[in-house]
Amino acid sequence: MAAPGLLRAAASSCRRILLAAPAGAGRPNAGPRRLLHVSPRPSSEDKVTVHFVNRDGDKLTAQGKVGDSLLDVVVDNNLDIDGFGACEGTLACSTCHLIFEDQMYEKLDAITDEEMDMLDLAYGLTDRSRLGCQIFLKKNMNQMTVRVPEAVADARQSLDMSKNP
Amino acid sequence: MPQTLKLASRASWLARCFPELWPDSLLKSQARVLKKTHKTLEEMPGPSTMGFFADLFCKKGLSRLHELQIEGKAKYGPMWKASFGPILTVHVADPNLIEQVLRQEGKHPIRSDLSSWKDYRICRGHAYGLLTAEGEEWQQIRSILGKHMLKPKEVESYTGTLNEVVSDLVHRLQHQRSLHDQHVVKNVADEFYKFGLEGISSVLFESRIGCLEPTVPKETETFISSINTMFVMTLLTMAMPKILHQIFPKPWQKFCESWDYMFAFAKGHIDKRMAEVSEKIARGEKVEGKYLTYYLAQEKLSMKSIYGNVTELLLAGVDTISSTLSWSLYELSRHPQIQSALHKEITSVMKDNLIPTAADVAQMPLLKAVVKEALRLYPVIPGNARVISDRDIQVGDYLIPKKTLITLCHYATSRDEKYFSNPNSFQPDRWLHKDGAHHPYASIPFGFGKRSCIGRRIAELEVYLALARILMHFEVKPEQDGQTVRPMTRTLLVPEKEINLQFLSR
Repeated sequence: MAAPGLLRAAASSCRRILLAAPAGAGRPNAGPRRLLHVSPRPSSEDKVTVHFVNRDGDKLTAQGKVGDSLLDVVVDNNLDIDGFGACEGTLACSTCHLIFEDQMYEKLDAITDEEMDMLDLAYGLTDRSRLGCQIFLKKNMNQMTVRVPEAVADARQSLDMSKNP
Repeated sequence: MPQTLKLASRASWLARCFPELWPDSLLKSQARVLKKTHKTLEEMPGPSTMGFFADLFCKKGLSRLHELQIEGKAKYGPMWKASFGPILTVHVADPNLIEQVLRQEGKHPIRSDLSSWKDYRICRGHAYGLLTAEGEEWQQIRSILGKHMLKPKEVESYTGTLNEVVSDLVHRLQHQRSLHDQHVVKNVADEFYKFGLEGISSVLFESRIGCLEPTVPKETETFISSINTMFVMTLLTMAMPKILHQIFPKPWQKFCESWDYMFAFAKGHIDKRMAEVSEKIARGEKVEGKYLTYYLAQEKLSMKSIYGNVTELLLAGVDTISSTLSWSLYELSRHPQIQSALHKEITSVMKDNLIPTAADVAQMPLLKAVVKEALRLYPVIPGNARVISDRDIQVGDYLIPKKTLITLCHYATSRDEKYFSNPNSFQPDRWLHKDGAHHPYASIPFGFGKRSCIGRRIAELEVYLALARILMHFEVKPEQDGQTVRPMTRTLLVPEKEINLQFLSR
């Protein structure tokens, strides 16, 4: 039974090392847009466009204002991501878990202990994972792509409960 | 066969977390194994109804429920069934299985639908509060309260209010220790009950109720003893079959009387605060406030619902804070080196400042690790529960029928040596350097998900501010070396006897 724990710990310590950079280091304002390979076409100055790759691989594109959280973007635009943001951004669950591209991940604001503890409980954790409710849009995030991790493959999907009254 | 299944479920877990490591063929064969072999409740091991009944009522089992978790796991494995009085419940005592249950809890998670707390409210015509409400009603209250109680920025704004209460706590401890020639404060949990009640009152009403004054108001003492009585009677009334209630009506009567007092206490304070607000409005003054009752009133909740919620929030902020602080200081007093390292951490962050803020305690990793470790050894809620009302779910090898009460054995998992080396020893360090055995669901003292503790962030802040300040003022030692205090269950996990500590000036 040590193996899962070990791997979890590995993922978690990996994240810790990556996140151990000082809070000021790699702040998003240092990130030039041209690195993102997509020419930004914001509809207005303070709008930021974000692409979400949903579990089924579909791309959902939506806009938010600078300062909105990624959870706000999903909710305000009624994006159909099943079970996303169950606790309404109160840092009580990890259902708004999102996976970032390397370059963007490194530019995100430092993670708090509270977010780290919640993320530890997330399903399908990676070393570029964050909680969407704690990531607030900045201009240099325009046209970024974030991935929704795969859903919990729990027993419900392999068993048809209606046949087991 | 069971071994194969265990391997299959481990493989499934690994595959879910690291899909790239697992070839499809392995995943598919594992799915086939699960599909074919899920077991039913009838096949689940567990004590006989009479045997467990005897354990509960004859062998002090009710106050040893947390130990029964460990005994049950040793005897039957990570899942077993037992009849808690009239209620059949499935015990789940492994972090992987607890994770499976919580991931299937659905949109409006239910803690338990067989609650004597609900019976009382129906009986008296009171409204449900956050602890007892379900479904859409629960969701509405959770959304309102979560906004004000859990969001980091909102929580920070209670720092000033809480720090005033902490100042009074330090004065109170000074006073209590001055009564003893060795500077011993007897029964620290009692002092921290008062601190907890004063703290949650200040958050709820933004006014002080005098719990930490040298002479404590009578109504405060009665409120605290009502909480105690209510928690003792909660387990008893739930475990007693209906027929026994007719023969022994006392437990239910005492249970109701305790609740009556708590509801009346809360109503008194709310009405007083509301009257002050109305007077202000009548005089044309501007009304503003940074307290929860005010927010609830703004949200157009009915008065009945406000009474129900504030009562539950009041009682939820007392034992929880008291136990956590008592056990933290108890363990620190027995581990002087850890206490000294923590003191060093606090003073290095604080420098010449006297009163820690939220930003200060955020920079104290050892402080947080100490509290995590205290809650691992002494989880305030030793066993939580879930009911999945609308569908059967698979947990481990078993298919659990809908509406089954599932008991989550947090005490057993947080002292399981598989996940924590030297599980019974206080080692805060383990939280700073997680080892290979770490499992995030092995110790979740506040629960997880949308039905987790609503007061978590306020409670954490309150405990950090209090512990940091106490240790800035005092070195804490055991009254007598070698004296141990064990936990006992009283619905919540509390110290079995008095924790007496020596508070020496720094």
